[in-house]
Amino acid sequence: MNSEQNLQQAEQLLAAWNKETTHPEANRLDATIAADDLRLAVSALHNTHWGYLSAITGMDLGPDAGQMEALYHFCNGPAITTLRIRLPRTSDVSLPTIEDIIPPATFFERELHEMLGFRIEGGKSNERLFIPDDWPEDVYPLREDFKIEQAKPVEGRHADELPDEGVVGGNKFVIPIGPQHPALKEPGHFEFTVDGEIVTAASMRLGYAHRGIEKAAESRNWIQNLYLFERICGICSHTHAYAYSQGVEKLAQVEVPARAQAIRELVAGLERIHSHLLWLGVTAHEAGFDTLFMYSWRDRETVMNLLEQITGNRVNYSANVLGGVKADVGPEQAKAIKEGLNYLETRIRHYLEVVTTDTMFLNRTRGIGTISYEEAEEFGLLGPTARASGLLRDVRVEAPYGAYTRFPISGVTETNGDLEARCVVRLKELLVSCFALRTIVDNLPEGPLTTKMPRKVPAGETISRVEAPRGELFYYIKSNGTEHPARVHIRTPSLCNWVSVLEKAVGRQLADVPMLIAGMDPCFSCNDRLVTTVGTSGDRKTWSWKQLREYGIEYYKR
Amino acid sequence: MNTLTSLTSLLIFPAGLTLLLMGMLYEWTDRKLVARFQNRTGPRWFQPIADVVKLFAKEQITPGIKNPFLFFGLPIVAISGALTAALYVPLLGFTPAHSLPGDLIVTIYLLSLLTMCMGLAGWNTSSRFALVGATRALTQVFAYEAPFLLALLGPAMAAGSWQISVINDYAANHWFIISQPVGFIIALIGLMGKLELPPFDAPEAETEIVAGALTEYSGRGLAMFKIGKSVELVVGITLVSAFYLGGLHGILPFLAKTLGVLFVMTMFQVLLTRMRIDQTVGLWWRYGTILVLAQIVIIILLKGGLS
Repeated sequence: MNSEQNLQQAEQLLAAWNKETTHPEANRLDATIAADDLRLAVSALHNTHWGYLSAITGMDLGPDAGQMEALYHFCNGPAITTLRIRLPRTSDVSLPTIEDIIPPATFFERELHEMLGFRIEGGKSNERLFIPDDWPEDVYPLREDFKIEQAKPVEGRHADELPDEGVVGGNKFVIPIGPQHPALKEPGHFEFTVDGEIVTAASMRLGYAHRGIEKAAESRNWIQNLYLFERICGICSHTHAYAYSQGVEKLAQVEVPARAQAIRELVAGLERIHSHLLWLGVTAHEAGFDTLFMYSWRDRETVMNLLEQITGNRVNYSANVLGGVKADVGPEQAKAIKEGLNYLETRIRHYLEVVTTDTMFLNRTRGIGTISYEEAEEFGLLGPTARASGLLRDVRVEAPYGAYTRFPISGVTETNGDLEARCVVRLKELLVSCFALRTIVDNLPEGPLTTKMPRKVPAGETISRVEAPRGELFYYIKSNGTEHPARVHIRTPSLCNWVSVLEKAVGRQLADVPMLIAGMDPCFSCNDRLVTTVGTSGDRKTWSWKQLREYGIEYYKR
Repeated sequence: MNTLTSLTSLLIFPAGLTLLLMGMLYEWTDRKLVARFQNRTGPRWFQPIADVVKLFAKEQITPGIKNPFLFFGLPIVAISGALTAALYVPLLGFTPAHSLPGDLIVTIYLLSLLTMCMGLAGWNTSSRFALVGATRALTQVFAYEAPFLLALLGPAMAAGSWQISVINDYAANHWFIISQPVGFIIALIGLMGKLELPPFDAPEAETEIVAGALTEYSGRGLAMFKIGKSVELVVGITLVSAFYLGGLHGILPFLAKTLGVLFVMTMFQVLLTRMRIDQTVGLWWRYGTILVLAQIVIIILLKGGLS
């Protein structure tokens, strides 16, 4: 079925509740429905397996318009159906929950609640997931009339306190992992209730690295935002810039030159090699196989050197500009890339052999955390985590964008769905990437690197999807015709994959938990966290950047 | 005079200072070899000494503990157990400082003291990581202790004595690694279990339970546990090589044989993935114990047949 037929089918499914239909872009259907019909409409799409819920975008249209919007985006290949719900902007904006229909929606709904103040009726959990515990009640950072003065920390509000040394009755007790823990390179907090060695319950808390990037984007211009979004994640910085610039270029109706698109795919491919080799090392370390960890990170240096040769940077590559790329690949770089790829390919083949034949490593990966195809679909998994269960979720294959139409990628899937399959999928994907990258280097289209971009972007909204190393990266960008975006909503792939950890940890041994967390390749790249610290006098207060800097200088003088 | 000799043997040679330095040297060899195998540079030769000096100079934090007496006493007991055990083994190829019939059993139990102390230390704090670490350490004791003992019993039975010095002399003419290869492998792997080296490092798996039983220890206490462990490394290797590698007589053969054993142990550390605690227990009781028991039975039958 092509995307047009898909959209027609969706339109028919939604006909009963549909109030207004538009087609903002060729591959999109925008259906406005009433809040009361939401559950029926979602069920209709879900029951017929029309795609999957990719993200929920919340928007405050401001006090003047007096309206709030919630957009439920369903993706089915290249086709996207958006359920748009408009609600009057009052003190009580409520939506029915859909988490009983689609479990992963719980993360999106909690984000809606915490950031914009939508009250989710019937939601199971009201605990905070993203914003700090001492954030004041009824203050929502993404509302248009939010002022920074409102964000005063509330004294004594800490939900994190554990009862009596974490003992929860009988022989059970809670093992906290994070926000500071040797297993996590980034901050997140998990609580695993264990009975001896067996995990009986799991919960998590995010937001320790929230930097308010979505909010910050609204006050910066289109070009500044490119550099802001690049810094969401250190590992997939190119993917974020790729998704953002692709979206803005679509809005501005600018055609990116073929050479620029090919170079974007080239950098994305190298970034994937970098990311997956890093992941392999982390997983090996969690399993206690440090030799593999050291070797794969040594080989990662090769790909980082290549990226440095092309873009000048090892981490935040900054290869993109709006309307093209700023890094060219000359004959010298092409030669270096090919040599590097040859070396990497032999190493990747070797690692593939190690993860499939090393008995001791297989003891820790085979049959652990198995997710079936049906479960993967139900949990709404993305990227390699889904592909390991046989569910082909790969934007590059499902909805080719940019240069992927010219240099296509073949999708890699495995059927077992355990940790071994997740290792194999990622490594095989790298072999596919190596092949594609060689083709690109050999057939790089001639032409300019950039086109001219207007400073103001015409009003409109668009969705830009890019396959990050961890799965589908979703950008919703809305412009109101000025130099600044009106709203940018980012849904990172890791957010969708958390369910796989929380559901699968229960009943397993504590020793498997770090492996499960690593198995989905978590990336804590989210947004918004206030800097609060306990001052020397013991009082909690918000510190300004200047104060923090002075405090740091004073601290190290002693 | 006798007291003076005893004190010297306890404080300077072979136990005491010499042993501490040897422990650190062997620890460095182990770390350096592992690092080189893993494509790293590894520590400089004085790093273990620097670590200990640094730890002794640091503040010892006393966290929420159940029994302060145990908290401060356990590291001392652990290190004295390891040092005392050294008196009964042919360290540096010399005859053991002390020798009595049945000292093999005494030594093995003195070597277990460290693990027991770590188990108690974990139980004594209110840290949940330490508690899980202690549980795992003690579970693991039940897995490897019996096969390790049985593996050392093989040469003892062949030599007809439970006295380490007698077995050491007997082994000079009988390389038990050839006649009892299974026993050697199990003794070696059992020793790695005792020392909680990878792949048996589940009790201190940093990715799950931070530093295991010793999570709450810092400063002096941690330093003493660390020294105890490196001493136990030397004593354990000495014991295994004395029994299985033709006895230890003279400094050069001692160094060659013990460092050879250490080299094999680092290979295991580098090549193997950490085992879960259930896998460790399963390995020992399903394979280790049964194999070594079979060997013991064969020795008994052969001995009986010969006499």
